[in-house]
Amino acid sequence: MTMYSRFTGVSYVLPAMALLMLVLFSPVLYGFWFSLFRIQYGAPTDFAGLENYARLLDDPVLAATLERSALFTCTAVALTLVIALALAVWINRLGQRLGFVVQMIVILPWIISTVVATLLFRWVFVSDIGLAGSLVRMAGMADVQLLNSPGSAMALLIGVSVWKRLGYAVIILLAGLKGIPEDYEEAAKIDGANPWQIFWLIVLPLLKTPLLLVTIVLTLSNLNTVETPLVLTGGGPGDATRILPIEVFDRAFVNFDLGSATALALVMFAGNILLVLGYVRLAKWKT
Amino acid sequence: MKRRQLLTSLAAFGCMLASALTPQDPALAQTKTIRMWTFLSATGASPREVALAQIIKNYEAANPGTKIVVETQVWDQMTPKFLAAHRAGNAPDISWVVTDFLGDAIGSGSLADLNELFIKNWPAEQVKDHASAYWDLTTKGDKQYAMFASPNYISIVYRVDLLKAAGIDPASVKTWDDLRAAAEKLTVKNAAGQVTRYGFAQGFSEQQADPHMMIPHLLGEGEKLFKPDGKANFASPAGVAAMTFATDLIKKHNVSPPQSATWTVDDLFEQFSSDRVAMIQGPSVRISALQAKLGKENVGLMLWPGNGKVAHSPAVMAGWAVGVWSKGAQKEAAGKFLDYMLGAESEKIWVTVGGQSPLMASTAKAVASFVDQPGNGYIRVAAEGASKYGWLTPIEFNVGGYRQALNKATQRIIVDGVAVKAALEEAEARFNRQNNR
Repeated sequence: MTMYSRFTGVSYVLPAMALLMLVLFSPVLYGFWFSLFRIQYGAPTDFAGLENYARLLDDPVLAATLERSALFTCTAVALTLVIALALAVWINRLGQRLGFVVQMIVILPWIISTVVATLLFRWVFVSDIGLAGSLVRMAGMADVQLLNSPGSAMALLIGVSVWKRLGYAVIILLAGLKGIPEDYEEAAKIDGANPWQIFWLIVLPLLKTPLLLVTIVLTLSNLNTVETPLVLTGGGPGDATRILPIEVFDRAFVNFDLGSATALALVMFAGNILLVLGYVRLAKWKT
Repeated sequence: MKRRQLLTSLAAFGCMLASALTPQDPALAQTKTIRMWTFLSATGASPREVALAQIIKNYEAANPGTKIVVETQVWDQMTPKFLAAHRAGNAPDISWVVTDFLGDAIGSGSLADLNELFIKNWPAEQVKDHASAYWDLTTKGDKQYAMFASPNYISIVYRVDLLKAAGIDPASVKTWDDLRAAAEKLTVKNAAGQVTRYGFAQGFSEQQADPHMMIPHLLGEGEKLFKPDGKANFASPAGVAAMTFATDLIKKHNVSPPQSATWTVDDLFEQFSSDRVAMIQGPSVRISALQAKLGKENVGLMLWPGNGKVAHSPAVMAGWAVGVWSKGAQKEAAGKFLDYMLGAESEKIWVTVGGQSPLMASTAKAVASFVDQPGNGYIRVAAEGASKYGWLTPIEFNVGGYRQALNKATQRIIVDGVAVKAALEEAEARFNRQNNR
């Protein structure tokens, strides 16, 4: 006769699960309930069903905002992954002391507060009293106003985002590289594989899990970032850098339209979950 | 050993229990903590922050049982946050409320009636002393929902030294053409043809947006910014003319910087403080801080020019009203502090230390000699403007987002080359859509 019923294990984790559900899911459920009402002065009034969601579909500028969000996220994630992978491979080949120093330098942007780091970039590029403007003038060139042109403002936003998140990606990928036994590389060399073949056919497949993890984290973090665009460009010039989180922020805190802000935030939340599931499925990730 | 540990633990528990049950010092037990949300910090160094700290210190000294705790907030997010906190039931006892959201704050029931709390005890002369457009804005029926703490007159802030060097008398800027001519005269280029100082500027970022300079131009023509139903009225002929004037300063006359399309208010002040701009659209409440950087005698305020029909175009009076949270547990105590913070004694501190213009007629008389001192003339200009040439945003409907909509229209014109009327129509559509109108 056993002392444990089949529910014993469940009962051990139940308090922790209940707490997690309360903390993680209750705001989502409350938000969903909130989004089904007309909101006046911050309080739900009449039941509106899916009216707030329908308003999102009717919004003529939201599709363009979604496109910009996709462009920003895809470009930033792709650039971060490529640069981080190259850096991780390079650092992995360095000696212990130099490798440690380079790691510390690379991770610095990740540990600086996003608002502080973005403000620094803004001050550099904010026009003619910024560092960039001064350097350009000292070189005798015409003023370059990166924040004033739609294309360059988006490029700058992507650049800052890559710079900020690069350290995290490098560290995770480096950990993955260090976990690959050296024997594999030696065996491949004996079999006559060149460095590119070793990287492409052995290292990269073995990095699938850290790469997937980094891709998911980077995608979510870029898709949901509000501090960087808010501080750096404010969504401008015009709508050039207006991405979904700024749209939610403005609806909620500039126009105080909490109904559609909540609806849009929930749509983004659902999108995030679908994206993660899609990534995992695409990578055929098995635990 | 275990027994000894057990006895020690029991003794410690007993001591804690005893201390918990022992009656506290009556003074400590009765201490009331009043939470106040404002964008000012009570430990900051700007003139208004120093004034606030002094007022709180005076109040706490006179009321030993009360502690005022200032919880500093980001200014453009504070009022929506207060409304959300009211809904959640954890708002502060007192909050500063920006005029754009004053209608929402009153309509939501988040603000207590100050008549009930303390104004009912005032003599009639004291009520009369407060009479102004600001006072009327916070009155609804027989209830007074807030009082203004920071009257803000947004017009032209200028560098006294630079205008003097260019031979421009601010009093001579009587029309919009005069303003443009002054800006042209103040714009300086280097040998390579690069502009090293612009004559006039305003920040057109959507973040930390100040009201657009087209508003006084439009109001001076007798046009309205909003229709009676709350819909935007930006693209009227007067609106198009006003926006054309503002953007032509950048595109046609090159006396205002194109990069201002993405400047925030803080960027604008940095440019002004760095001698890069001679005149800016700016609020009277920030002049004392600018004077602290540039010298008291070097920063002045002038009214917006007129158009021949009116001497001066009406300026936006934004400002901050302060109210007591209607569901607060300490409304009486909060009201008592608010009465003091915005009373006659404190207003002298707001003016003489904080550099604000007075709201009460009695204060205006009491500080007359202070206002006459060199560098303080802007206080008189702001007071004159507020009494004769001011405009307050309506509170019958929410106008949140109108500043951003107009600034975005400006960006579209300057950066994307969109026609003025089309950009204003876009702004109207966006504002109306965002406000479900």
